[in-house]
Amino acid sequence: MNRADLVAVLPEVILLAGALAVVTLAVFADRPRAEWGTAAGLALFLAGVAAGVQWWALGDTPGSLHFSARGLEVLRNPMVVMDPYSALAGIAICVVGLLGLLAAWELVGSLGRRGPEFVALLLLAVAGLHAMTIAANLVLLFLALETASISFYVMAGFTRERLDADEAALKYFLLGSFASAIFVYGVALLFAATGALGIYGAGGLRSFFATTIVVEPGVLVVALGMLLVGFGFKVSAAPFHQWAPDVYQGAPSGAVGLMAAGVKLAGFLALGRVFAAGLPAQIDRWSSAVAILAGVSVIVGSVLAAVQRDVKRLLAYSGVAHAGYVLVGLTVGVFGLPAVTFYATTYAVMLMGAFALVGAVSGSGGGASPFEDWAGLGRRAPGLALAMTALLLGLGGLPFTAGFVGKLQVFTAAIRGGFLWLVVLALVTTVVGLYFYLRVVATMYFDDGEGAVAATPWTTRVVVGVAVVVTLALGIFPWPYLDVVRDALPL
Amino acid sequence: MTLADYLPIALMALLGLGFSVVTLWLSWKLAPNRPTAEKLAPYECGIVPLQEPAERFPVKFYLVAMLFVIFDVEIVFLFAWAVRMDEFGWAGIAAVGLFMALLGETLAYVWKRGALDWNVPYRRRYRRVVAEPLEEAA
Repeated sequence: MNRADLVAVLPEVILLAGALAVVTLAVFADRPRAEWGTAAGLALFLAGVAAGVQWWALGDTPGSLHFSARGLEVLRNPMVVMDPYSALAGIAICVVGLLGLLAAWELVGSLGRRGPEFVALLLLAVAGLHAMTIAANLVLLFLALETASISFYVMAGFTRERLDADEAALKYFLLGSFASAIFVYGVALLFAATGALGIYGAGGLRSFFATTIVVEPGVLVVALGMLLVGFGFKVSAAPFHQWAPDVYQGAPSGAVGLMAAGVKLAGFLALGRVFAAGLPAQIDRWSSAVAILAGVSVIVGSVLAAVQRDVKRLLAYSGVAHAGYVLVGLTVGVFGLPAVTFYATTYAVMLMGAFALVGAVSGSGGGASPFEDWAGLGRRAPGLALAMTALLLGLGGLPFTAGFVGKLQVFTAAIRGGFLWLVVLALVTTVVGLYFYLRVVATMYFDDGEGAVAATPWTTRVVVGVAVVVTLALGIFPWPYLDVVRDALPL
Repeated sequence: MTLADYLPIALMALLGLGFSVVTLWLSWKLAPNRPTAEKLAPYECGIVPLQEPAERFPVKFYLVAMLFVIFDVEIVFLFAWAVRMDEFGWAGIAAVGLFMALLGETLAYVWKRGALDWNVPYRRRYRRVVAEPLEEAA
């Protein structure tokens, strides 16, 4: 182990130290919420800075491989990779994690003595999400996936007084474990077909496919399919999306944003690394499967979102459609990765803002958020209604929002790759998408609603503000960030 | 192995899929569907109680069993290091020491939170963990 090894996993080290610090400060020293909350925020901030340092230190190098007990073994079977792709992912995940902490702050306050546990779990989940993006070995990727998932299962059921939160946690746990099992089976079959668990290095998948022609691909194809199913569950792509609406609706609103946005962001980036960077030689075998998954997702997500009467369920089903749009960009492999990175990061920030607003309108510890809660919001709380309108238009992909630029990027990439039918399909569903996003806007401005909205805490206002600013800024002036994602390619 | 050798597996998969689809479809088709609010509520275990039971049942053994698993797995990791201790040298001792320190913190946390207090009546532990935040929030 040398110093560069430590730099590669520095964000994880900081986040885990932060989780320990939160528990220690809260339980042993009995400090107030402001102090251990600040420690958690500081850990997330410093982890993001560490990822920024990685980006700066990498400069023009494509990346480096790390971690093994013996020096030479690293070149054969590396566990962790540090490249511009993982550095940008680290920054984005830490930003989303920080927004998640702020969005959950009110909820943490209402949890009382269980609050520190929630925040410690949040930090562990973010560490797991980041580990997913730096993993160069499929077993490590699985461990990271489980670290994040198990933390989120617990966070989903944290408000134990509500029965639907229990239902959400159990449903998330059972279906998530099932998906993890399929993923691990895929990893095992991939090992059976290739003898490799890692992506890079002399013993990795890339060098295997560079030197070998697979004549009988039966096991390999099944393995690729199972990996895709496992990832599909985690990013809630149709037809593996059934858990998402119930889980989002049941889990406390303050926690759902990170659960949805974080897993999607890290899931897509890990999917990009495994398929686009790890298996580019097999693109003919997996790109059509990804395209079909994308097509089914955009149709199912848009159609089902159009009939929802609850904003959280609507965001869940629209998330299925968004998973489809990201997969559209992934069909062309590594050339689509900049578009995928742009879309996934901006979508994650917009989703954080939207769920923070759900918490502000329907209560951060609450479950359902029916349209009745949103009726007349334009008069009752004009600021919140305006922010929600901006974010929904961004999610819908209207011009001058980051959603438009993201869609433009993925569609352009897919057309260059020859998936015109898929882009036409995605464009049609985008129009359906505008219908259900505008339905929420219409409810806010044209329907009559009763009752005052509780004062929005400053933490939620920060999250919403950041999300709105990012949505508009990257929609009007996206070029600097487009250059960044173009440079952020995996090794 | 050629693709034809996978035929039995494919047949088995088709059979399994067909069986589950047909059973689900039949039970959906044959059963009368009259939903009420109670029927649509999430089902946990039995009927929702109308009042708190007079006595709470202690389930502390389950907590202890869960904690036992954590520290038991820790020992398994130590064995793997112990058999090659000389080869790993001081770096190995440092790594294992860090690992032990993390688990020590876990143990201290569990202890401090009262999970190891066997003789505390369940009601009091319940109050400390669940009821208090609710009272604080109210």
